[in-house]
Amino acid sequence: MENKSHNDGVEKNAMSIPGLEWKHEQGELFITLSGRWLLSCPERQQVLRKWQSLIKQARDIEIFHISCTEDVIWDSSLVIFIRNAMGEFELNKKKASLGYLPDGLPKLLQLSKERKTTKDKNVHEGLAEDFDKFTADLPNYFARPIEFIGAVIIACTELVSGRSVMRLGDLVESARKCGASALPIVTLISFLTGLTLAFVGSVQLEKFNAKIYVADLVSLAMVREMGALMVGIIMAGRTGASFAAELGNMKLNEEIDSLRTFGISPISFLVLPRTLALFLMTPLLTLYADIVGILGGLTVGTLVMNFSTVHYLEQTQSALTHMWEIYSGVTKSLVFGLIIGLVGCYKGMNSGPDSAALGKSVTSAVVVSITCIIVADALFEMIFSYLELR
Amino acid sequence: MNSVESNPIITVKNLQLAYGKHLVLKNVSFEVEQGHCLVVMGGSGCGKSTLLKSMIGLLEPIQGEICINGNMLWVDNSHGNKIAKEFGVLFQGGALWSSMTIHENVALPLGLHTDLADKEIEELVHYKLSLVGLSGFENFYPSQLSGGMKKRAGLARALALDPRILFFDEPSAGLDPITSKRLDDLITELKESLGMTFVVISHELASIFNIADDAIFLDAKLKTLLDRGTPRSLLDKSIHEEVVDFLTRNESSTN
Ligand SMILES: Nc1ncnc2c1ncn2[C@@H]1O[C@H](COP(=O)(O)OP(=O)(O)O)[C@@H](O)[C@H]1O
Ligand SMILES: [Mg+2]
Repeated sequence: MENKSHNDGVEKNAMSIPGLEWKHEQGELFITLSGRWLLSCPERQQVLRKWQSLIKQARDIEIFHISCTEDVIWDSSLVIFIRNAMGEFELNKKKASLGYLPDGLPKLLQLSKERKTTKDKNVHEGLAEDFDKFTADLPNYFARPIEFIGAVIIACTELVSGRSVMRLGDLVESARKCGASALPIVTLISFLTGLTLAFVGSVQLEKFNAKIYVADLVSLAMVREMGALMVGIIMAGRTGASFAAELGNMKLNEEIDSLRTFGISPISFLVLPRTLALFLMTPLLTLYADIVGILGGLTVGTLVMNFSTVHYLEQTQSALTHMWEIYSGVTKSLVFGLIIGLVGCYKGMNSGPDSAALGKSVTSAVVVSITCIIVADALFEMIFSYLELR
Repeated sequence: MNSVESNPIITVKNLQLAYGKHLVLKNVSFEVEQGHCLVVMGGSGCGKSTLLKSMIGLLEPIQGEICINGNMLWVDNSHGNKIAKEFGVLFQGGALWSSMTIHENVALPLGLHTDLADKEIEELVHYKLSLVGLSGFENFYPSQLSGGMKKRAGLARALALDPRILFFDEPSAGLDPITSKRLDDLITELKESLGMTFVVISHELASIFNIADDAIFLDAKLKTLLDRGTPRSLLDKSIHEEVVDFLTRNESSTN
């Protein structure tokens, strides 16, 4: 490439890299772009840096002329360079004129001229906006859930009066999914819970020479507390999340809308079978978890602490003389099942219109239902102790 | 076709629609004649789907009224079920119920809204599926079908209850030209043989000129109905540049 007269500076002009030449003449700057202006050219960064420093020095310049050589090889990198340069000139109230540009480039510049005018939704605008958003969202926090629960209650009354569109097959299928197929994980977790309780208890009770009371500790802790709680947490992570994901996805695909257009209530058709299945299955799983947990304790009792199986089981039996101990855990688990089912379905039904929102509502379904379960558990214990049922 | 004019089956008056604070459409009024096909046109994001949603009772208008077949939507909810049986909807993506087979998808509304015997439902499902060229796919799940097939299955489901009014959201988007042509023919066929009324959102000019008895054009900037008329008259006489642009965009390439 041949250099014209009065070159104030020549930035690399070999054909393999982006070329930028400039010529300073009485308050006017002539810029010629040449070479390979390609996004894949790493040398572009140096040229851009050079450009930045040049533009800083060129305060006194009033008019810029940008043109390209005819053999310039270019892609979007050249477009954004010119676009940014023009933007900068405009911002500084300087004049810019375009000389020769390769075919097609002026059109692209023209098309991309439209600047962002709308307010970017994702820009954080401070406290005032946060508050605005919060007040706008208030109905979502309170009114919506209440409306949802109301709709579920109506659906239940329809079910009882035999006018529901709920299909028995859906209930059975949901029950299978959240009940039977959860057995392996429930077995593992509750066995280990029983085991851990026994280990922790044995160390403490040994000090008082009361090692056999490990059987009492494990069995009471399991049936009163840990069985229901562990099953609740497993169900929240497993079934609650899947309810939210299923319904959220159905909402995304307009499946819920199309149910409505056929006059089919999504609450009766989708929410009811799922919630009901969970409501029925959680207590059964809890009973199962109680038994497996006690077996976990038994394993430690016999293998580590050397009690005979019969001795350990007799001790367990004497600890559980009141059936209420078991019923109390089962009562809790009924409520837990209801909470998980309702929260999962609510979060799914109210999920946003894209897959990112779907992910959020699944997470939130799990977090909210586990929180609610633990709060409910605490409330139960308070009520039980207030009523002297413990 | 020379059905008696001014016998609107759908009347929309002064409609205003919004999502929360975000206004989508205002001052929209139009009628659809019994047995006609109304095409809703407009750039993407101008609120066509939103208008459809409000007409099928999924989005409550801020203001205005929608009257379908003598029933005022949103005013008296007891009509809900009755109206549902009178219209069928084909959503943009088909919106099939993903946990059910194609057969079950079409059979469900029949089972819930009619007292037909299983055998009869079976026959109806076969008939509706063959109407859209999907016989043999009864036991497929929606996830096993292509986009165009899903749409056709959605159409079969929309036709399940022999509705008097059908709403289609971009039925031919994503369909190959042949299937798309078949769909147009089906619309014309159903319109002429059964006197069904159609509200169709469409971008396909060829299809618009084929099926539309009437068309409305929504504008995203003004957020309202810009113009209405037959596609021909809009093309020839519309004073709005956008409408003419929309209708001439591909004229040269389609004709
Ligand atoms: N569920 C929704 N929540 C909030 N805004 C929406 C929702 N659906 C659509 N919109 C907005 O409403 C406007 C119209 O959308 P739509 O009716 O889908 O347009 P189209 O004409 O392409 O079908 C768009 O600006 C869109 O962003
Ligand atoms: Mg749309």
